[in-house]
Amino acid sequence: MEIGVRVFLLAPLLLAMAAPAAFGQSEPSEDGPRVIEPEVERRAVNKPQIDTENWEVGGYAGVLSIEDFGSNPVYGIRADYHITEDFFFEANVGRSTAGKTSFETLGGDVTLLPPGDRRLTYYNLSLGYNLLPGEVYLGRNIAMNSSLYLIGGVGATEFAGDQHFTINFGAGYRLLPTDWLAIHVDVQDLMFQSDLLGESKLANNLGAWLGFTVFF
Amino acid sequence: MHRPTSPLAFLLLLLALCAGGTVACAAENQDEDRNSKLAQLFIVEPYLELREGPGRGYAITQVTPRGESIDVLYRRTEWFRVRTSRGVEGWAYEADMLKARWADGSPFTVDRGDRSGFTSHRWEIGVQAGDFGGATLISGYVSRAFNEQLALELTASQFLGNASNGWLLDLGLAHVFKPEWRLSPLVTLGTGMIHIEPKGTLVQPEDRTNQTAYAGVGLRYYWTRRFFVRGEYRSNMVFTDRNENEEIDEWKLGFAFFF
Repeated sequence: MEIGVRVFLLAPLLLAMAAPAAFGQSEPSEDGPRVIEPEVERRAVNKPQIDTENWEVGGYAGVLSIEDFGSNPVYGIRADYHITEDFFFEANVGRSTAGKTSFETLGGDVTLLPPGDRRLTYYNLSLGYNLLPGEVYLGRNIAMNSSLYLIGGVGATEFAGDQHFTINFGAGYRLLPTDWLAIHVDVQDLMFQSDLLGESKLANNLGAWLGFTVFF
Repeated sequence: MHRPTSPLAFLLLLLALCAGGTVACAAENQDEDRNSKLAQLFIVEPYLELREGPGRGYAITQVTPRGESIDVLYRRTEWFRVRTSRGVEGWAYEADMLKARWADGSPFTVDRGDRSGFTSHRWEIGVQAGDFGGATLISGYVSRAFNEQLALELTASQFLGNASNGWLLDLGLAHVFKPEWRLSPLVTLGTGMIHIEPKGTLVQPEDRTNQTAYAGVGLRYYWTRRFFVRGEYRSNMVFTDRNENEEIDEWKLGFAFFF
């Protein structure tokens, strides 16, 4: 019995001593056949940054109807950031100069506003949605991408010596003759609360303008 | 009629040719430079669809088969303008592009407008409207993140009230707790300038510009794609020339997007 236990305990020891020799035999000798180790050099790949063209910057000019002060030329600059294929963010600044009210025209020498206060400056921070993206065809050979978008936002207008919180909304059409150039036609309403002519009322200033922007 | 060319004319012609050649050569080099700067990817899926425009509704006009390479010209939102090895150009969708591989076999990766982008992004732009001590507030900010939690923020605001108008320009830090949560709280701290134009009908008070400091708390909530909603409260301290400093409460809510 005691011998049996000793053999049982010694067996693993003997096995451990014999093992290196056994495994040693299977090791490839210098001349013998050996497993091919792939020594392929990884190709160093240049991974350049991809240019993103989500910004769109440009200018516009058109007509703005300032409530009670007639229709007047307006011009401005705009910067858009395309967030997704559907939504874009726009910041714009515009300027116009108010004409005469009918009261001033009929009244002769009466002036409601000094010349300095006739200048109207506004800015808007808006969110746009590309409602109808598409393609237009001019003749047989020209196809241009286009989009009809809705836009709305908040901003401020400085007019007649006061500043007004302004809400803007409207629609626009973007036409891309090339991937980097866009032509815009916009129609927007700039609304603010005005008490210029006595009672406080919501002034709706409708405008339409044509613009050019460049993507970069 | 044949006229002998004068030596001067010949010299000028030679110079012009040389100059033209140099310009052409330089242009060629530039072209090569530009090509080597473009990312080259390989299609491993059965095919890659190319559309006419950067949008899901545009027609698929070309298909690039497996094994072909494409040069990525530029990216607009979720669409990539690519040129195939056969010289065909078109727009490929982001999700399809992510299945393409670099020449060394590694997968192509880009920053996407999703929850992981919300947690970790570099730039943020937002627009907010609210209340500034009783006046209407319009506010816009740009933020540049140092890491997932800390960002430097520049805020420009305009307030329009019954008693006064004015603007604020602030520079500060924002710290987001748990940026991986869909609704994550944040704290802000910073300093800036305030310009106040009081509206006076009888007495015309002077405009004034003062330094300010603010501390605030806020919440941001991931909405969809690259958008999130951000609302915050700021307590502004205006350091005036008078004996007492002025405290103005600011509440605002708006949307922001990251990129």
